[in-house]
Amino acid sequence: MANVTPPAPAWQIKVFPLFTLLGWVLILISFLIGLLVLSATAVGYWGGNAKAVRDAAEAGSVLLDQLQMLTVTPRWLEPLTFLGVAAFMTGIALEFSTIPAILKNRGQVMSAAFPLIVKLGGK
Amino acid sequence: MVEERPPFPFNMIEGMMPMFPLIAVMGWMIVLIALVIGATALASSQATFFSDAKAIREGAAAGSAFVQANVDAHVIEAWVPQFKFLGLGLGLMAITMALGTIAKRLRRMGQVISSHLPADLRPPMPPIPTRVRVFQLSTLMGVMILSAALIIGLVLATGVVPSYWNHSIANELDPAQPGSALLAQLGVVSSFADWLNPLRMVGMAFLFTAITLALTVIIGTLRMQAGVLVDFYQRASSRQ
Repeated sequence: MANVTPPAPAWQIKVFPLFTLLGWVLILISFLIGLLVLSATAVGYWGGNAKAVRDAAEAGSVLLDQLQMLTVTPRWLEPLTFLGVAAFMTGIALEFSTIPAILKNRGQVMSAAFPLIVKLGGK
Repeated sequence: MVEERPPFPFNMIEGMMPMFPLIAVMGWMIVLIALVIGATALASSQATFFSDAKAIREGAAAGSAFVQANVDAHVIEAWVPQFKFLGLGLGLMAITMALGTIAKRLRRMGQVISSHLPADLRPPMPPIPTRVRVFQLSTLMGVMILSAALIIGLVLATGVVPSYWNHSIANELDPAQPGSALLAQLGVVSSFADWLNPLRMVGMAFLFTAITLALTVIIGTLRMQAGVLVDFYQRASSRQ
């Protein structure tokens, strides 16, 4: 009787959910910051002040702080979103990486079981 | 060996699953159309708008070529990125559907092998994993969010965006005072991308999750089938 066993558990199967979860966390954070912080600030800054007032804002004023936030935040928020996308892709790649070993095991198991299926199956 | 027909909307999704190559091509065509629009209409609008000095283009009156070019550019930028992401989403949906089709064929293959086992060593057919329904719903959710983003983009592109930009920048838009309709419109046109762009990514996240879950179904099915065969081998060998 040959030593036939199911495929060994792969470490990637334990790790990939962390990347999927990380992807969700990063994308949801960027959505919430965009919706609750950036969008609200943009409506207040652009929609609540005349151009002359915005252009005349002095250092330390609320308007200049808002402009700074509207300019600076997207510079890191968009890469953060794409880091989330990359996390999803890493998780998917890790899952795919387990398949060759499972298929190799399937070949071994099938070659051992096939003669018995033919012998006992009768179909 | 005939599987029970799944309830709505899963029957619709499963019926569409073998059409994944067509959906992938459709997604690619949408992204190609976005490229063509960007390279022709958007580029030409921007080229027209920036063809003269700042004072001339910003002082141009509504109805002039400069204002019209500016309107066209902003309208295109309001809907084409959403359209492009819908194309990408269809590509991801096609991948999910292909994985779903593979999982279905694996189940069918398991049924065929199982039917050749002796009746007393034949394991019962396991139920369809819940994750199959979850990845199908996740795919649907992702495509619905991307479609909603496109609809919002189209509403903006046919409403507030042309309405705001169809004015002389220097003579009408810049002097707008707080409380005016123009400044309220500026608030909308300057802020929608801040939440609409991340919303598209939430749609993409649902599609990536669907791919992840579809892969877990395939891996789980392969492992379970190997377990069934090993169990059969051990029980059958002990009879020899």
